[in-house]
Amino acid sequence: MTSITVIDEPENPLFRAPLVEGGKNFAEVTALVARPTESTTPRAWFLGLGVSIAIMLNLFAMIGYLVWTGVGVWGNNVPVGWGWPIVNFVFWIGIGHAGTLISAILCLFRQKWRTSINRASEAMTIFAVMAAGIFPAIHVGRIWVIYWVFPVPNQMAMWPNFKSPLLWDVFAVSTYFTVSALFWFVGLIPDLATFRDRAYAQGRDIAARIYGFFAFGWHGSNRHWINYEKAYLILAGLSTPLVLSVHSIVSFDFAVSLLPGWHTTIFPPYFVAGAIFSGFGMVLTLMIPARSWLGLHNLITLNHLDNIAKILLLTGTLVGYAYGMEFFIAWYGGVEYEQYAFTNRAFGPYWWAYWTMISCNVISPQLFWVRSFRRNPVVLFIVSIFVNIGMWFERFVITVTSLHRDFLPSSWGYFSPTIIDVLTYLGSFGLFFTMFLLFAKFLPVIAISEVKGVMPEANPHHGHHGDSHAEGHA
Amino acid sequence: MTALTAPTVDQVAPGVVTRVRPGELVGTQKGILGVSAVALVASIVPAFLGEDDHARHRVMFSYLTAYMFALSVALGALFFVMIQHITRAGWSVVVRRIAENMAGTLFPWMAILFAPVALWYHDLWHHWIDAQITDPTAADYDSVIAGKSGYLNVPFFFVRAVLYFVIWAGLARYFRGASLAQDQDGDPQRSLKMARMAAPGLLLFGLTTTFAAFDWIMSLDPHWFSTMFGVIYFAGGVLGVMATMGLTALYLAKKGYLGDVINTEHYHDIGKLMFAFMVFWAYTSFSQFMLIWYANLPEETIWFAHRSEGTWNAMFVTLCVGHFLVPFGFLMSRHIKRNTKTLAFAAVFMLVMHWCDMAYQILPNIDHHGFHLTWTDITAVVGVFGLFVAMSLKNIIATPLIPERDPRLAESLHFHNV
Repeated sequence: MTSITVIDEPENPLFRAPLVEGGKNFAEVTALVARPTESTTPRAWFLGLGVSIAIMLNLFAMIGYLVWTGVGVWGNNVPVGWGWPIVNFVFWIGIGHAGTLISAILCLFRQKWRTSINRASEAMTIFAVMAAGIFPAIHVGRIWVIYWVFPVPNQMAMWPNFKSPLLWDVFAVSTYFTVSALFWFVGLIPDLATFRDRAYAQGRDIAARIYGFFAFGWHGSNRHWINYEKAYLILAGLSTPLVLSVHSIVSFDFAVSLLPGWHTTIFPPYFVAGAIFSGFGMVLTLMIPARSWLGLHNLITLNHLDNIAKILLLTGTLVGYAYGMEFFIAWYGGVEYEQYAFTNRAFGPYWWAYWTMISCNVISPQLFWVRSFRRNPVVLFIVSIFVNIGMWFERFVITVTSLHRDFLPSSWGYFSPTIIDVLTYLGSFGLFFTMFLLFAKFLPVIAISEVKGVMPEANPHHGHHGDSHAEGHA
Repeated sequence: MTALTAPTVDQVAPGVVTRVRPGELVGTQKGILGVSAVALVASIVPAFLGEDDHARHRVMFSYLTAYMFALSVALGALFFVMIQHITRAGWSVVVRRIAENMAGTLFPWMAILFAPVALWYHDLWHHWIDAQITDPTAADYDSVIAGKSGYLNVPFFFVRAVLYFVIWAGLARYFRGASLAQDQDGDPQRSLKMARMAAPGLLLFGLTTTFAAFDWIMSLDPHWFSTMFGVIYFAGGVLGVMATMGLTALYLAKKGYLGDVINTEHYHDIGKLMFAFMVFWAYTSFSQFMLIWYANLPEETIWFAHRSEGTWNAMFVTLCVGHFLVPFGFLMSRHIKRNTKTLAFAAVFMLVMHWCDMAYQILPNIDHHGFHLTWTDITAVVGVFGLFVAMSLKNIIATPLIPERDPRLAESLHFHNV
């Protein structure tokens, strides 16, 4: 392995900084990304996978216990009918927004730096949506009739309630999952073919056959590339409204109600901003360790981390704007219930949750006004953990503080989770990390062909005088 | 490395005319100025004449509608400039000067144009200004409005207005000034400094635009509230500036300026952003409407109830169709965005729709039972928006047409969509 040089030069607007550092050529990029699948698996990976699977099995055990016993095993009560399961659902679905944002919206914005992080983020998206989908499914109570959420013609003439945003969620999330998975898979095809060819050349026949099956006979002809680029652009266009619609509809779950603290018009874009914030937080949580363990410093450079930090600062501040607007309009609107709900959030029995949320989501990303913090992986990793915590608490604050004090003081209560709540939530991380570790071992964690496409060698004018920075978009 | 300066425009684009030739465009500029001055007189004077209070107030509302329309475009221009800097955008360098010059009208011109509004404040915002309304002993006492008097009171209202203009003036002058200074020295460090300034600039911009929309539109109906309101005003403004910027570039090209510099590729991108913010406007407006309709709380639905009376309902449908459905289909096409004629048509159409949106938000406060177009609606928009255009053009004539020594000029010149 060659030594890693980390470049940390001051920015010069006259030149676009290279996206791939360390003077790598095409072959070296391929070799670097293919290494985890081709070299001996480190013991730490087995250890990590073992722990993750154990935690995931705990999730299945909890689900089994829940289905056997009933939702009474959770801390949900009257008036807090929506407890941790909804919080966990929104938490995971929010995380599942970064991948498609990076692949679709940043693609339309010609943000070429996205090529280094889009593959892993998309994988993360899919695994997060899987984890998210579990919670509403097991919350229905009688999971054996879960198919009732779909509008299936039946002899009982029984239909789901089309006026309920919970049903819109079913459509929104399943569409999102399908399109994200498709987008991810389309992007993988050229790289799977690369892995197939390498496996074949190295004599690993079974691997070559499996990669070959999924590579759909890709051989990189002009015709393949033209179709591929078209499909990619169309999927990017289709995914863009999906990135906004899914979390908008999740926000409708709350905002269409009459409940103070839930019913406010800014909810849809506010939830989208929060989702992107939490998604990028999780991208950092995963990519900073992966970058060092897999030696990807030249592909995921400090400039990439810097850009992600800026997105965290932007979206964290947007979320702060929404918190502020909610508070201001609650006062300005003059509705006493609304005013009470917000005072109660900040100073009532759940004050600790509210201020945890504010500290993690609004205050901690303000560190990223400073360039050296944006380029310090340790600081970034710590803040990313704060973001994960803060965004979980945001959903907790929204769900629980609005519910726990109903309009009549006689229907006030306090929500406490049970051990089953805690273990189920923990278990969802087991599922998420199991999937991610398998992905990191067997699939290209970086989109090889896309990264090559943004390297100077890919520019047809490469080497011609006077066009050195005409094509870059850092 | 710091000794390097950006190449001159002659090095990257030999032969490009970067300044308006002496004497050219001045006639048009003066013409627009003249027409808008006449129109302004025709839109302001009637507010002081006649005995009929309702008729006088209607004139003031025409003016406020036109003002909020033009202001949103000027603010949109300021936003556009800052977002280009903060994202280190390459494609937009050749059109950025147009936006800088449009944002340059925020001070003094948009501030001067605010004067009639400030003069008529009592008539426009009388719902919360009437002293009776916050006096618990008066017959007209309104406890809800009295509860807001910490925010909605005359001194604070004007303090905020001054603060908004100070911030907008400061930002517009800084970004235009630094860019003009870079024309002289080609110092790439200026680009970095502008990128750094754009971050707090956007923060201030977001807050001031939101509260200006609350103050000057939302508080016309002081009972009503919506957390989304500022976002919708912002979305409409950015849509407006993309349309105005595209039309300005096309006008310059017609007069023989920048025809090869701002080319199909740049128009295509302007069209894309127009499309994007049209959809974003629709998304935010739909969310506001749907959530209020669904929850059906009287204190919120009242706003839409007023707007479903008489012909306001037709305006609602017009906005659904004209501000979203039709342009969604029309601007989706790559060919339409890349054809200057169809793009120009779309830009004019979207500006008309943006005015309709402003009218829908503002005028029901006086036209209670349906939309009645008056001639001052027309003269006010000709006057206020005309003056904005005339002064933008004056700025354009006075400065180089493109940021001549922006370090990313070459990138912008060679830009092409894949």
